[in-house]
Amino acid sequence: MTQPRASRIALSSGELSYFAAGEGRPLVYLHPAGGVRWTKVLDELAKSFKLLVPITPGFDGAPAHPSVKSMKALAALSGEFVEKTVGGPCDVIGCSFGAYLAVWLAAQRPGLVDHLVLECPAGFRPKAHGGRPADASELHKLLFLHPEKLPPEEKPADMEAANRKMLPHYGYAQDTDEELLALVPSIDKLTLILHGTADRMIPRESVQLLKSRLPHAYLVYVWDAAHAIEVDQPERVLAVLTSFLQRSEGFMVNWGTLAVNP
Amino acid sequence: MKFSFFHLMPYTHLELESHEWPFPNRYFDPAKASALYRTYVESMIHADSCGFDWIGCNEHHFSPYGMMANPNLIGGALAYSTRRAKIAITGNLVPLNNPIRVAEEYAMLDCMTGGRLVAGLMRGIPHEYLAYNIPPGESWERQREAVQLILRAWTEPEPFGWEGKHYQYRQVSIWPKPMQKPHPPLVISASNADSARFAAEMRATMGMVLLADLPSGKECIRVYREAARASGWEPAPENILVGMHTCIAETDADARRWLGQGLKYFDEVLMGGLQASQRIVLQKTRYFENEESRDRWKSRLDKRRTLTLDEQIERGTVLCGSPETVVAQIRRVHGELGHGVFNFTVKVGTLPDDVIRRGMELFRDRVLPHVRNL
Repeated sequence: MTQPRASRIALSSGELSYFAAGEGRPLVYLHPAGGVRWTKVLDELAKSFKLLVPITPGFDGAPAHPSVKSMKALAALSGEFVEKTVGGPCDVIGCSFGAYLAVWLAAQRPGLVDHLVLECPAGFRPKAHGGRPADASELHKLLFLHPEKLPPEEKPADMEAANRKMLPHYGYAQDTDEELLALVPSIDKLTLILHGTADRMIPRESVQLLKSRLPHAYLVYVWDAAHAIEVDQPERVLAVLTSFLQRSEGFMVNWGTLAVNP
Repeated sequence: MKFSFFHLMPYTHLELESHEWPFPNRYFDPAKASALYRTYVESMIHADSCGFDWIGCNEHHFSPYGMMANPNLIGGALAYSTRRAKIAITGNLVPLNNPIRVAEEYAMLDCMTGGRLVAGLMRGIPHEYLAYNIPPGESWERQREAVQLILRAWTEPEPFGWEGKHYQYRQVSIWPKPMQKPHPPLVISASNADSARFAAEMRATMGMVLLADLPSGKECIRVYREAARASGWEPAPENILVGMHTCIAETDADARRWLGQGLKYFDEVLMGGLQASQRIVLQKTRYFENEESRDRWKSRLDKRRTLTLDEQIERGTVLCGSPETVVAQIRRVHGELGHGVFNFTVKVGTLPDDVIRRGMELFRDRVLPHVRNL
């Protein structure tokens, strides 16, 4: 397993902690509402990319930045992080809350984003569809169809709960962020949207809406996965993700062989 | 009550019993098959004017049991020559085929028939897995995944990809899409508890054929209804299809004679190779999810095979007799099972086609008026 290096960088609103792992083309990963979970997907990506995982202020024990109080401000901070660590455009992956942030980043700072990957993106939920339950065991059921695949070094439940309590601080939209939705058609980045076929937290209508508004997007359903698709089906997520990042539109082509005895 | 005219399309020119698998095709005569196809399709077209609500066929491979490697071709032949009845393909064998192809061909048929398709999504009987070299142990996984994929191919508003265990497609956007919204009605086989649960979860009509007795059918319906409620819906009678061998003639004696003759060919010739291959599949693979399901399936077929025609009539598992007798039999089965679709398998072995045709007219004139409102 790749050991991520914990680092810090001084940004205009305060110090930002982040993890870095691997070498190669830079790839920024924006984490979900539960905080950073070092999944098999991240581990494998770090074998081919220079993976940079900033920790949102106020998450995973990191202090909040007093002046950063909205998704827009958080996207500006993420942009500053990319400028300082990468120095130019890079591929960006966002997962759930992180995908919501990634859309804001691509809308506000298009020059810093190359390919965009949105895993079960929050921020575009139709009213009365899906949602995050308050009850912890119910939330667990909605996150994982295969909890047996969770990595053993899972972070304490109270830390995850504290992370989720930070969402209102950033004005996280439970339903559709109409301001952001209006900006979506202007995002011209090649985008891959991934969604679990058993995701009841982010309904299918959300990703269908996003797909219909983004000018250059592909939507791929991951079979037998709930909201936490990286935990439920890491191999399937990686197969699509790495092909997309390596081959761009060419990810649609089957480059392998179906011959069993060539 | 709705009635379905189902044709198995058997090859009827064999004079020998065979228990080999596969059935050697040196016995196949294309000229005879050509005439059979014409007779069978004409018979199905005639069903449209005899009051049948559905006209159906299904998929089988490598055997004289049924000459429908692709039933969608028969559906195409019926699309413009029938006007009223639904075209019930019951169905494509989903785990054996490319699910996207199934979605496309069904969508074509739905458009061609003006929205009259009933889409059967079947797992298939064990021996079909030998024919297409698909691992029988994967049948359930493939069925579950493929059915979900087909539903998405029909209903997604935007192009999409699918990354699954058995199926991977980077972009799917079928042309045409089905005419019926959100999609054509589904029929899924439910002859055991596992499949009854799956049919209910998919909100499909459950289909049961070749019943050993009515209580076992009743039990499958109970499981189906229970699973449907757990999935948040209540099945209507038309969500339950029961299929039986059927022979209607002027008198009970005629009907018994014709069906007896047809069943002899059905059991001794058509089922011969199938039984051999099914024994191999069931012994050596995990086609069924558990031993209980396997044993129940085997015992159902064994039980049916050992029963005489009289015993089958007595048990209410075939429809056979004069119009008046068949009316009483339909009422009895309906009273026991409460189903809303009765599927008549009319071409049983070598049962003569002119007898079938006369039976269709007796059904129209002397049976249907008495059972339509059940």
